[in-house]
Amino acid sequence: MRSTHSRRRFLATLSSAAVGGLVGTRSRSLAQEGPSETTAIKLARSPSICLAPQYIAGELLRAEGFTDIRYVPADGGIGQSAGLASGEIDLTLHFAAPLIIPIDRGDRITIVGGAHVGCFELIANERVHGIRDLKGKAVGAQSLGASTYIFLSTMAAHVGLDPIKDINWVTTSTVRPSDLFIEGKIDAFLSFPPEPQQLRARKIGHVVVNSSIDRPWSQYFCCLLAGNRDFVAKHPIATKRVLRAILKATDFCAGDAAAAARRMVDGGFTDSYDAALQMLNEVPYNKWRVYDPDDTLRFYALRLREAGMIKSSPGKILADGTDWRFLNELKRELKG
Amino acid sequence: MRTALVLAFATAAVLLLTSLARWPSHDIPRAHVAAEPSLPRIAPAPEFTLTSQDGAPVRLADFRGKVVAVTFIFTMCTSTCPVLTPMMSFVQDQLGRDFGEKIVFMSITVDPERDTLPVLKDYARAFGANPVGWFFLTGEAHAIRDVTRRYGVFAAKTESGDVDHTFLTSIIDPRGILRVQYLGARFDSEEFRRDLLSLVNEP
Repeated sequence: MRSTHSRRRFLATLSSAAVGGLVGTRSRSLAQEGPSETTAIKLARSPSICLAPQYIAGELLRAEGFTDIRYVPADGGIGQSAGLASGEIDLTLHFAAPLIIPIDRGDRITIVGGAHVGCFELIANERVHGIRDLKGKAVGAQSLGASTYIFLSTMAAHVGLDPIKDINWVTTSTVRPSDLFIEGKIDAFLSFPPEPQQLRARKIGHVVVNSSIDRPWSQYFCCLLAGNRDFVAKHPIATKRVLRAILKATDFCAGDAAAAARRMVDGGFTDSYDAALQMLNEVPYNKWRVYDPDDTLRFYALRLREAGMIKSSPGKILADGTDWRFLNELKRELKG
Repeated sequence: MRTALVLAFATAAVLLLTSLARWPSHDIPRAHVAAEPSLPRIAPAPEFTLTSQDGAPVRLADFRGKVVAVTFIFTMCTSTCPVLTPMMSFVQDQLGRDFGEKIVFMSITVDPERDTLPVLKDYARAFGANPVGWFFLTGEAHAIRDVTRRYGVFAAKTESGDVDHTFLTSIIDPRGILRVQYLGARFDSEEFRRDLLSLVNEP
């Protein structure tokens, strides 16, 4: 179960999950929006329930003209990005870091907007009280492509640790890191909803870093809406309509957490109303208009470079992998 | 019980309005309005014909030449609607002579089963809605569903009988073009008023 990983193996994992591609061209203006170019949309369904806006957006997507709305199972990490790049997924909310890594490799992904801040919490036992305390400790992650592994590696690099050498990563595809933690087999792991809520309910572990609250992580988006670059180029109106539906759903999550939690349970996206409600009350879903996705990508690109996970400059990541036209238009059209 | 609730909301509204009553009534400087960048043109506003609190048919198309604000409420709502309706009432008063003559409000219920015409009439009166320019609209359930969907509003009945819904207030220009939408109920009333007036003054 316990394994040691090298940077080379990490990059190999990314390589196997990634699909290469060329930089796409920007599509036409959206002024005087017409009907959507397609009525079908494929979104990701990941283990994390913090993608709540995406999960409750069904009716809003139907209102935008989509009649065939599918949720494609995804791993919530690099595999989800690979699904985007390959076109298995058209558009999805996803954590910034695992989107940047494939963009660095030339994968066909275009990020179109930011949704919400902070989903992640570093949960640890009494041996760990700060990120530097992770040195020499056993730290769990589902895989080397998991968002939690990537994010925690950037956190470690940011405080001067070498995430490869200094941390004893424990990965397993058969046992969840939260279960390993409960069994006392690891010292810490980076959790995402509903894990922190479930552990809090059982009074297990303590929070070392909460990315909703703790700087610098809380100053940037956690999840952004990204699309397959070809889909975005060929379906600009559909892309804008999906972004609008998800931003409205994000606002709904911020304004009526109880109703949003009910919708998640009714939609079969979680079976725990209480955990969903707690998560919706904790994660800041009211920042999409305030925070700057450009800043977010610059920040994470720098952190990923520090951690040796990408080679590109922030400027190249932004040039290759973003299109803010949709968000800029919606900021003018959707006030609040 | 219902009357008590409405009165409670109305009392809260009066308190809110009192706290907000810091602007001089009506005439905001038009030069300031003209300096604002023009609002985007999103798409033709979805048409509808519904019934007002007085039982009269109200057709959106009949309001060409006026600026129309369309929003979605239900009278039993205890969370956000009691914030939105008083805010619109406050803006109504700030608009002075323009209200009714050049600008109208339409509040569409998402709970047509419970929001009958008398209920809507009581609600309008409780919040000081000026019947000259503010219509509280209802219709057959399928017609309401159709309007909410076409305006991009989500509304669904819960087991308790309440309605989960997104808050979206749309401003339509005198030519029937949807120009801007406000999410939620706690948006800036002054910006909302400026946007309404900017369309009144738009060439």
